[in-house]
Amino acid sequence: MSVKNKTNKSQKDKGSGWAYFKRHKQIYLFLLPALVLVIIFHYIPLMGLSVAFLDYDVFLGMKSPFIGFDNFVRILTMPQFTQAIWNTLKISLLNIAVGFPLPIIFALLLNELSKGFFKRFTQTVSYLPHFLSTIAIVGIATTLLSNYGVVNDIRVAAGGEGTERILFLTLQKLFVPNVITLGTWQSFGWNSVIYLATISGIDMDLYEAATIDGAGKFKQSWYITVPSIMNVVIIMLILRIGHLFASNFDLIYGLQNVYIDFEVISTLVYKQGITQGDYATATALSFMQGFISLALVMGSNWLSKKYNEVSII
Amino acid sequence: MKLDKTRNETYGYAVFKVFNIIIMLFVIVVTLCPYLNVLAKALNDGQDSMRGGIYLWPRKVTFENFRVLLADTSLYLATVVTVLRVVAATVLGVLVQFMTAYALSKNLKGFKIINIIFVIPMFISGGLIPQYILYSSIGLLNNFWVYVLPGLYSFYNIIIIRSYINTSIPGSIIEAAEIDGIGEWGMLLRIILPLSKPILATIALWIIVGNWNNWSDTLYYITNSDLHTLQYKLMQTIKETERMTALIQEAVQNGQDVEDMVNSMKVTTDSMVSAQIIVVTLPIICIYPFLQKYFVHGITLGSVKG
Repeated sequence: MSVKNKTNKSQKDKGSGWAYFKRHKQIYLFLLPALVLVIIFHYIPLMGLSVAFLDYDVFLGMKSPFIGFDNFVRILTMPQFTQAIWNTLKISLLNIAVGFPLPIIFALLLNELSKGFFKRFTQTVSYLPHFLSTIAIVGIATTLLSNYGVVNDIRVAAGGEGTERILFLTLQKLFVPNVITLGTWQSFGWNSVIYLATISGIDMDLYEAATIDGAGKFKQSWYITVPSIMNVVIIMLILRIGHLFASNFDLIYGLQNVYIDFEVISTLVYKQGITQGDYATATALSFMQGFISLALVMGSNWLSKKYNEVSII
Repeated sequence: MKLDKTRNETYGYAVFKVFNIIIMLFVIVVTLCPYLNVLAKALNDGQDSMRGGIYLWPRKVTFENFRVLLADTSLYLATVVTVLRVVAATVLGVLVQFMTAYALSKNLKGFKIINIIFVIPMFISGGLIPQYILYSSIGLLNNFWVYVLPGLYSFYNIIIIRSYINTSIPGSIIEAAEIDGIGEWGMLLRIILPLSKPILATIALWIIVGNWNNWSDTLYYITNSDLHTLQYKLMQTIKETERMTALIQEAVQNGQDVEDMVNSMKVTTDSMVSAQIIVVTLPIICIYPFLQKYFVHGITLGSVKG
């Protein structure tokens, strides 16, 4: 911030209008590429959302007849779509229940390890899955859970030769647990980084003072570390809630196969829109998702501002 | 009394520490072993793997899986496409984001409005179909540049670079350069750029990993197989394997003898999946030590800024 003020003072900012623009022409030109990109790739698609209100015909394009909210009504009355909306919500809520607390616990536990090779090694290993592509994660799962994969080998070893080998990834009832487990596996280590960074910023004097007051290690964790990361926890939760109706397309599409009947909003938008060419309904579906997400982010941000004085906007 | 209590807690903490190490060992096993298992399968004879019992090391070592995999020439084309896409997206992305961040680090007239224009897409987006319609009307479908152009702009990255320029580059250096009459391009490329190297390296690595690992944009926008990427080809192999498994299982259920069918495959699809996972993840594993350092650096910067 200090840099900004200094440079501003050193320039004569009195001029206005064209003369001012001309003097700083080069700086404005630096912004041009980003402005062009943001308008083409973000604002034009935003206007394209109007497709949701049209009886879209590829040949007529944007001149297709306007039908108001018919596409939305269709979505809310067809079980295929309402099911996908519920499925998305179900996956997100389970992901919050399992995937949200785990990185916090992991960060707190890591913090209790003494500094050294073991701690660094554990961190390094736990971040690794984050850097692999989601489809590689699906591939690893396919390998582990195949007929002659490790999981079935262990089951046979434990249960005897007669144990039936199961293709876990083809079972409908295991689909949701598979999605949650793999998603958590991929992200828990990496998601702990933000908490570890916050913990490393805590003033060491607090711990020293607590030691002098006779507080043991557990009490120090509970009364110093946990409250210190609470703001970050709330911010992370707000971000999660904003994504309640978003879903990990790569993971879910990757895990889908002929035995699985489970769609979420993003997979359905792709299949309905691009595979089947029903642009209008697919756009209406993602329009609804975007609208609810925006409302959720704004709402949860307002709530947290009100009660905790923490805000992301 | 007080001393007793502390001693009790110290004892409790020692017990906890032992458990903590056990938990961490469990974490290491759970994250590392799946990958090692895939590596072992990739290096094991395909037929032999069908007997099961491959854990962390191969039983019958062979490079046959990789030989067969790399005999598929389309894989080379996919590698070229993937590398080109990573290079183009990284070079152009860093350039655009750096230029924008530098300009925004000044506080000129009209920047308030420009900032608002930039920030809105972080909260609302047109979504897949309007993008698809746009790309088809400007000729980006089945076009290599669909991998590069839409991702060049990232306000998140711009904010992070801007806050680095604002906080880590001493104002005196900028002032001295200004007095020398260096001009804006000179300032950007000869003064700010060298001083921003750490943050630009971080951003570059983000873009590299994101582009290397992406496959859904191929699924959405590309049908021409000459433009397929490595990750997309892995996806195809996995889906193909699933189809094969389904066919075999159906045949078994119909009481057909599948022994011949299975035996005829010299390299099983399962081993091919393993070998391909190793091939497409190897570059990431190789640069992983740098990745970890710079990624953590970046995320910490971002969090400090709020």
